[in-house]
Amino acid sequence: MRRDLTHISEQMLIERLALGDPAAKEVLYDRYAGALYGVVLQLVPIKDRANDVIVKVFAWAFQHINAFYSSGFRTLFAWLLRKTRELAIKEAIPETALTGTELMKKEEGILQQFYIILPASEQQVFRLSYFKGLSITTIARMLAMPEGQVNEILGEAMKAFRKFLKEHWN
Amino acid sequence: MELKFYIESGIIESYVLGLASETEVEELEHMRKLFPELDTEVELAERRLERACFDEAVLPPMEIRERVLQKVRWEYAGAQADAQSNYTFINIQPKDGSYISVHRWWKIFFIILFILSKIFLFFAILYYLKYRQEKERQEQHPAAITFIHEQKANIFYI
Repeated sequence: MRRDLTHISEQMLIERLALGDPAAKEVLYDRYAGALYGVVLQLVPIKDRANDVIVKVFAWAFQHINAFYSSGFRTLFAWLLRKTRELAIKEAIPETALTGTELMKKEEGILQQFYIILPASEQQVFRLSYFKGLSITTIARMLAMPEGQVNEILGEAMKAFRKFLKEHWN
Repeated sequence: MELKFYIESGIIESYVLGLASETEVEELEHMRKLFPELDTEVELAERRLERACFDEAVLPPMEIRERVLQKVRWEYAGAQADAQSNYTFINIQPKDGSYISVHRWWKIFFIILFILSKIFLFFAILYYLKYRQEKERQEQHPAAITFIHEQKANIFYI
């Protein structure tokens, strides 16, 4: 039964998940866990915590699949990614509290690759926003800048991100 | 033209990554209602990010798969049991294919079958013996006739 499901379309997979089909849940995991784990490892450098994030994301996805259509997302991956990042940021702890052995952050991840090409001011804002999950208000306070300016910097970074994605993965 | 500018601002990417503020998200949702073609743009942006992340995929440890799916299997088993009755059915039989479970009526069926087979066997032996007895009795009369025939044959040869 599982073998039949391995290549089903995203649409079919969502329908099966909504019915609570355990085989569909397995397919969802097998399809997306790897890509999501890669993202989590860039955000949460501790293995145990990164693992917990993956378990939580899928438990959430299985329960809330019916909310997918009203989420505004068009693809399952983006929908899962949003939740993954949200949970990963909650799990991440300040890097100063880590010892060297726990660090397993991947330095050559796509977001790091992108991050390096940014001008210093954009790097800082993007890092605080994406990797730390801080709001514009908090970043503005931290950097002693007006919110409008932070918004503008992040806007520039996002423009560059769009270009970066279009160049490499179009 | 303005729509193109809006798309190129990277607002969709910001939304997909989860960096957009609430006002920006509301604005985008409003724009999507006004311009349904934006949906295609959102999908394109999501697909690009998906491809990028798939290139970076790292297989989680096997134990994570077990943790995620064990819960699923348990919940599923629980739901199945609930649908049938209000108790949980725990199957402790080894599932290696060398055991089967059947209805209790089969036991009675096999006992009856066994008894019937004994009765039939008894009658089979009984009638066989009767048949042999009958045959032996018949062979005594034809034996005399054969004797006469043989004598006739002997005369013929002489």
